[in-house]
Parts: sequence; C-alpha cells; structure tokens
Amino acid sequence: MEYFFQQLINGITLGSVYALIALGYTMVYGIIQLINFAHGEFFAAGGYVGVIFMSYLLSQGAPAWVCLSGSLILAMAYCAMLAMAVEKVAYKPLRSSSRLSVLLSALGMSIFLQNGLMLTQGVYDRAYPTELTQGGFEFGTVMLSYMQLFIVSLTAFLLVALNFLVFKTRIGKAMRSTAQDKIMSALVGINSNRIISLTFAIGAGLAAAAGIMVGLYYGSVRYDMGFVPGIKAFAAAVLGGIGNITGAMIGGFIIGMVEIFAAGYISGEYKDVFAFLILIGVLYFRPSGIMGENVDDTRV
Amino acid sequence: MIWLFVLLWPLLGIKPEGLEVATTFSVWWRIAIGCASILVIYQLNSVGAFNFITKPVGEAVGGAKKATSTLPFAVWAFAILAFAVAYPHLFGRYAQDVAINCMIYICLGLGLNVVVGLAGMLDLGYIAFYGLGAYTYALLSVHYKLAFWICLPISAGVAGLGACIIGYCSMRMRGDYLAIVTLGFAEIVRMVLNNWMSLTNGPNGITGIKAPGMYWPDFANGMTLEHLWLKKLSLIYYVILALVIFTIIAVYRLNHSRIGRAWEAIREDETAAEVMGIPTFYMKLLGYCTGACFGGMAGAFYAARMRFVSPESFTFLESAMVLSMVVLGGMGSIPGVILGALALIALPEIFRDFELYRMLVFGGVMTLMMLFRPQGLLPPKRRMKAEKD
Amino acid sequence: MKRSIMTALLVSAILMLSAGMVFAKTLKVGTMGPLTGPYAADGNDIKNGVLTAVEVVKANGGIPGFDDIEVMPQDTACEPRQAVATANKLINEEANGVVGAYCSSATLPASEVLDEESIIMITPASTNEKVTSRGLPYMFRMCGRDDDQGFIALKFMQEKLGAKSVYIVDDKTAYSQGLADGVEKMCEAAGIKVLGHEHVNQGDKDFSAILTKVKTSNPDVFYMSMQNSATGALMLIQAKRMGIKAARLAQDAVYHPQLMEIAKDAAEDVYLTFGYIDNNAPAYKEFYAKYQPKHGEPGAYSGYAYDSAMAYFKAVKAAGATDPEKVKAELMKLDYDGATKHIKFKPNGDSGSNYIIRKVENGKFINYWNPATGKLY
Repeated sequence: MEYFFQQLINGITLGSVYALIALGYTMVYGIIQLINFAHGEFFAAGGYVGVIFMSYLLSQGAPAWVCLSGSLILAMAYCAMLAMAVEKVAYKPLRSSSRLSVLLSALGMSIFLQNGLMLTQGVYDRAYPTELTQGGFEFGTVMLSYMQLFIVSLTAFLLVALNFLVFKTRIGKAMRSTAQDKIMSALVGINSNRIISLTFAIGAGLAAAAGIMVGLYYGSVRYDMGFVPGIKAFAAAVLGGIGNITGAMIGGFIIGMVEIFAAGYISGEYKDVFAFLILIGVLYFRPSGIMGENVDDTRV
Repeated sequence: MIWLFVLLWPLLGIKPEGLEVATTFSVWWRIAIGCASILVIYQLNSVGAFNFITKPVGEAVGGAKKATSTLPFAVWAFAILAFAVAYPHLFGRYAQDVAINCMIYICLGLGLNVVVGLAGMLDLGYIAFYGLGAYTYALLSVHYKLAFWICLPISAGVAGLGACIIGYCSMRMRGDYLAIVTLGFAEIVRMVLNNWMSLTNGPNGITGIKAPGMYWPDFANGMTLEHLWLKKLSLIYYVILALVIFTIIAVYRLNHSRIGRAWEAIREDETAAEVMGIPTFYMKLLGYCTGACFGGMAGAFYAARMRFVSPESFTFLESAMVLSMVVLGGMGSIPGVILGALALIALPEIFRDFELYRMLVFGGVMTLMMLFRPQGLLPPKRRMKAEKD
Repeated sequence: MKRSIMTALLVSAILMLSAGMVFAKTLKVGTMGPLTGPYAADGNDIKNGVLTAVEVVKANGGIPGFDDIEVMPQDTACEPRQAVATANKLINEEANGVVGAYCSSATLPASEVLDEESIIMITPASTNEKVTSRGLPYMFRMCGRDDDQGFIALKFMQEKLGAKSVYIVDDKTAYSQGLADGVEKMCEAAGIKVLGHEHVNQGDKDFSAILTKVKTSNPDVFYMSMQNSATGALMLIQAKRMGIKAARLAQDAVYHPQLMEIAKDAAEDVYLTFGYIDNNAPAYKEFYAKYQPKHGEPGAYSGYAYDSAMAYFKAVKAAGATDPEKVKAELMKLDYDGATKHIKFKPNGDSGSNYIIRKVENGKFINYWNPATGKLY
C-alpha cells in the first residue's frame, strides 16, 4: 500500500508538469486551430532563463523564496514575450493560408529555437541549484519531498488563476468569443490579433513555469528537453479534448499517472507505450476526447 | 521582427555562469545579420530595386517556358530520365550518396502524398510504416536469408497490413485527432522495436542485412549467370531509381483513376462525398494503406542499402521531415513532392559548411519558405484550376 | 568579418600548400565519436586526444614517408545509424585508420562496415565484449572489457561491501545493458541475490517509478549501468530525494566530471569501476603537458584516445606503409608503456583490462580500492 501511495505521489507530480504544458497547446489550438510545435521550446527556454536568474540571485546571496519566485516570474514573463514575438513573425502572416502551412512554419520555428538554444547554451546538461530543493516529509516509508509539494501546489495555483482569467474576466470573455468566431468578435469590437497574441503569451508563460519546475525537480536542463514532454503534453491536450482547458488538465494528469503506474507495476521500458495506448483507447470510444463535447462554450 | 531579435538576444547571450555576453553574442549577431539581409533584399525586391536583373531574367524564363511548353511531355521525361541514369557516372560517391537519400525520401514523400495530399488525412506517424518495412526485410534477410526482391512486396504488404489495423481504429476520427493517434501509433511501433530485445535486438539494431542481389550474365567464362551483390553505391542507385519510377507511375495512375478522384472529393468535403455515394470509410482506409505500402517499400530499400537498421531512424522528427516535403512541395502534386524532397535533403547538405548552424538555418528557412509561399513550391494543377474558377 | 578573413587566409594557405605538394602523401586518420548530443563531452575528448597525439608525433619529426597527418573527426552522435553513415563517409574519403567510436552501439555496426574495406579501427572507449569477440581481423581495443569490469564490480560487492542483494538498472544500449546482464549473471552465480533488473529508455528524465521499486525492495547495492554521466547524475539526485540508502555502484561511462557538476552532493560516496591510470607515469605526463593547455583537463577517455592514435602511428612508422596487413603485424608487435597503460595487444585485438574501484569524495574522483590486493589505496 505504501508503494502505491509513493507511486501516486510520483504520478501526480509528473502529471502536473504535463498539465501545465498541455494548457498552452490547448489554448493556442482552441483559438487558431494550430498545433504549436514550438511550444516545447518555450518550455526549454523557460528552464534556461530560470537557471540563469536563479544562479545569479543565489550568488548574490538572496534568500531561497526570492530566488524561486524571482526567477519564476522573470522566466514566465520572458517566455510570454518570446511567444508573442514568434507568433507575430511566424504565424500571423499565415493566418489566411492553409492550416498545414502554419503547422510547418511552427515546425521550422521549433527547429530554429531548439538549435539556437544548443548553439549558445551548449549541448551539455546545465545543472540547477539543488540547495533549495532538499528535504521533505516522511510518512512511514512514503516520501513527499518539498519539491513535489511545491510543484503540485504551484500547478494548482496557476490552474485556478487561469480558470479565473478565462471565465471571470473581460479578457477571458474576449478570448472565448475570439475562439468561437473571429469575425463576429471583431465586429463587436474585440481586437482579435491582440487576444491571439495574449493567448500565446499565457500558454508560453505556463510552459516556462513547467520548465523551471522540471529543472528544479530533475536537477538539470538541456537544450532538447522540450521535445519529448512536448509530444506527451500534446497527447494530453488531445486526450482531454483539444481546445478545452479542464480537459487539458485532466489529460495531463492521466498521462502522467499512466506513465508512472505502468513503470511501477508493469514495465519501465514500455511506459510510453501504455500512455499512448490509453490515448488511442480513449479516442476510439470518444473520438473528440474526454471533455470534447461542450467545445462550443468553454473552449478558449 | 526586430522584437523577436531583441528577445532572442538574452536567451542566446547569457550563460548561467554569469552574464557572459561576448562569446554567445557572436551567435546572435550572425543570425540577426542573416535575417536582416534577407529582409533587406526582400524589401528592395518589392520596391523594384532589382528590376534591372529580375526583369530580363523573368522574360528569359518566360520565353524559355513558352518554348519548352510546346515540347511534348515525353521529351521532358526522357531528358530527366537520361540525366538520372547517367548521374552516377557523372558524379562522385558523395553525390551518389546524397542522391540515394533524396530518392528514398521521394518515395516516402510520394507515399505520404497519397494520404495527406490526396485523401486529406493529416498523418504524423507515417514513418512507422517505413520502419515496419525496414524491419521486415531486415528480419527476413537475417533469419531466413530471403532475397531482397522477394522481400520487397512482403515489406510493402506488412506495412499495408499495419496501416489497415491502425487505420481501422482511427479512420473515424477527423483532423487533428487523427494526427495525434497516428503519432501515437508511430511512437508505439518505435517503442516496441526498441524494447522487444529478442526479436529486434533493441536499440542496438540489426546488422548483417544482405544487399540486393542480382543475376548478371557473365561473358568472361561463357554465358553463365553470376550472382552479384549490389553493394556498390552506383549499382544500388539504379535499384532506388527503379523504385522511384515505379512509385511515380503508380501514384500518377492512382491520382487519375476513380479512386484518386474519390480521395480528392473526400479531402474537399467528406460529408458531400459520402452523399455522392463514395464509401468514405473504405476509401480513406484504402488511401492510408496505399500510402503505407510505398513507405514499406522505401523502408525495405533503406535496410538493404544501410545493411543495418535501428529504431532511431524512425523517430517523430523523420515523420515531420517527410510531411514537410509534401507541404513544402505542394500537397497533391507529384513534381511538387519531388522538388520538396530534393530541397529538404539537398539544403542541409549545401549548408554543411555552416556545420553547427546547419539545423538552425534549416529551421529558419523552413519558416521563411512557408511565409513567402504557403501553397508550396509547385501546387497541383487540378486544384489551381478550381481556385481560379 | 574576422571570421571571413580567417577563412580567406586559411583557404589561401591550403591552396598554397596543395599547390606545393601535389604528390604529397598524407596519412589520414578518422576519429569517430559523438560530437553533438548528450555524449558530446566524451566524443570531443576522443577527438582532442587524437589531435594531441598528432601534435606530439609531428613535434618528434612526423612519420617518414608521409608529409602530413590529417585528422578527420566524424560525428556518430552515439547512434548506430549515424555510425554506419560516418563509417561509409570515412571509406569514401579514403581514411587509412580510424580511432573510435565511443559507444559500443556505434562501434559494433561501424566496425563491420570498416572491416569490409580492411580499415584498421582502434576503439579507445567501447568496452562491450562483442567488439573484439566477433573475430574481425582489424579491430583493436585500447580500453578494458565489460566482463572484466563486471567481475571487478562483483568482487568489490562481495569482498569490500559484503553485499547480499543487488538491484540493477540499465539504459538499454549495447554497452550498458551488456554490462548489466553480465553483472546479473555473475551475481547470481556468486550467491548475491538480484532483487530486480530494470531498464529505462534513453532520454528519460523521470526515474521516480523505478526508484520507488528499488527503495521498496531495499537492496544492499544499487548498481547503475548508464550510457551517460548526465543520466547517471539525474538518477542519483532522484535516488537521494527518494531516500535510497543502498551503496551506489556505477561504471566507466558515468565516470565524468559532469557527474559531480550536476548531481553535486548527491554524487558523494558513489563507487565507480574505472581503468587504473598512473598520473605520474612519464608517458602520461608528456600527454598531459600537451593536452591540458589546449583542451583543458583530460576527460575519461582522452588518454585512451591518445594512446590509440599513438599506437597506430607507431605501427605505421614501423611498417612504413598503410597496408592494413603490415600495420596489423606491427601493432601486434608493440610492447611499451603508454600514457594510460602498458600497451601489448592480444591476438583478438584486446589490450587487457586494469579496472579498479574509484569513489567520489568531496566532489572529486579518488582511487579507492585495488581489486588485485583487496586493499584501499
């Protein structure tokens, strides 16, 4: 039983990370029907910006909470701006062309950003300061480290904040209406270009937060770290019903859990196979994802 | 645009050891200058600064086009074929190597073109069929010593069968749901190849695959048939050339048959096609399997040429590359896909001098090409007509 | 601008040189190793080791009969596919000999390609038994073998740690899994209980599920067989966080300064099996003096790469030609003290193993336990 709880904790932690990345995919998809391949790169860039500022602040002797929150905010802000710039350069001119051309443009941007990171930050793993993240609670033999607690609670906070933003504010309302019909919402006075670039910004900000958490949790970042979680998070977004915020969260947690439990109980080698099998199984019975039914009013 | 570079700079210019601007700044300014010069050239072009060059060139090209368009298609085809046949005698090993790579991707691109370009299904896991074909030939060759020519249809069949199974589960889905399911299947195939140690030898791959063999009349000692392994690059070049020609003809015939028209109808409007009496489910399945068969054949050839296969050759990035060729060349058009494959394989080779910057430039160029020519390099004629109307 | 001037100078220099020496004979040595990707550190070490050897040979008058020595570094990225491609490329460019590759999974397929063209290949780093046990006539190895390495690991577990049980994790490459399988067999034969043997995939970052298994089965020794020191570091960090108390034993691919850089205090007291290098030997000092100023501290396999290249040059010098049969005969005759070990090839191409146990202490690798004497250093 303790073994089960330990794996549950592991699963929730991994699921939180996937959920945060999946949100960016799902929001962008919801608003312009684009699979944003470059999203994984925002995640990696966030990890790098995080480690840069965190080591800088640490070397200046700042207290732990300043380091964490400072680098978190900076990385999120930076990635948000980067995403807006990428959107402006690579996606906006293609708004009226076929969807596959935008997809390819996104793929090109992804390769570009990833190699840019590699050229400047090097091919080696960059170590994160691990001093901040040691210790944890022990329940019998079950370990819950502070880091895991931090990841889960930060994810929860960001999710609540996002839900508030989308469903309770004017901006959220504008986003939802742009997602439903760009022309109509433009007619009622919504600047849809601004809303789209805002959506990119929010998604990338969340991805940057996930990047920092992954860096802290696993101890290092690497230039190509965005790729695999990117695909998994994309799978999570589709699993939950792409375009749907709650769906993306649920999808992220499901993929994370399946992976951990498959590794814990069946086989470590085949964990990804099980994650994708679950995805295909769910889509077979519900071809538009778990929460994909009410796409009309909650998609962003 | 300037924005992006201002933002790229800190990402590129700062290292965790401190604000080490100087060394990584060089990377940034190279990118910036590269992009700025492209932008300047583009702007100048649109204002007409290059008219003194482009005008005569454009006129010359137009004149040449007129002159050549009167030539029948057969002459063109013959000229290209003659060049392709003579190619290994004209160029060295390196060029032959690149050409073989190109042609493998042409096969793959044409296969995927059936799925994406004709039937309009977004397939992100096409490389799985390539892998299935490669492993089929590899295993049959290593364990049962079967010849390449026998395995070629078997590989195509196995890939097609795999596509039937996958397609049967996923053809109900549309658009991006189909994309992720095909991606998922491709990952599963790769993972199984990677983990089924007893069958596939896992990540270490399979060695000792035989090259294609051939009986060649030997005149030296009478008229005997001698068995020959086609190991030399210039010989194996002709094998893939034959495969490419076969694929082109097959795809062309398919494209202009009832089935091809049915696929295009499904691509344009699935519901309308259904109403018109096209069995959409079976037609889509057929398209998916046909595409996979070409992938399987290309895979068998790949295994025979490298005489080695490992799961790393069949990652998502390869799927994305093949998809890029199809979209870049112009979906649904055969010459377009060929051009796309040539461009995407030849580009990184041309950029080899940039070494580390190669992939960076590649990604940038891909985005730029899409920005300036979103419909592809050579979009198909049939659709252009429809758009004009 | 500076770069273009440099290139212009370089091009003109090359042109002048090539004009002057149309009939010059160049000895072409290929190096194979991962220059990009997660194993790039080790690949660059190999390249730099060979470059240093060339420098030393040139400084000592070069090789008679050859006007120049050209090094052709090739990137295998540690992928079997790339390795085959680079082997073909080296054949195309008519390399005379090859030093490499790093990963066994790259060396195994590449050597088969090179063997068809009878090109001598000396691997400085691939320890899998199969490298030399396939009977390829032109395959040589400068480092040790995994069966010896596994045996030392077992001996250490039995004699020093007094272990009763072990849990094994590998990351599924020809090298890491081969070694882990060997250790598993030997442990079972020796009466150490193998509580589990798990595999992770390359590129994985999250090992929490596997490590929970390790923790629950509570072994005396946790044996990690990883292809890459960064992966090893990630696993150590997570193992520490999970609270795994078992003694941690790793192998030579995890042996890299990067391990401590990333894992920091999580790497403390990790044991590693690695070949013994006498830092005070004259040949090592000569190597170090040339290597360190240019390329920094030598990595795990810089020395072996240097020795591989030196051995090849010595053999070519003695043979006076690049004919593979003659060079092979001369390689077999070699018997001298290299920078890393005493070099004398066995008939199958091996040069013997000298594994010891090293340990991480205060962020540094130290010699810890000598299996020959069974005593601490």
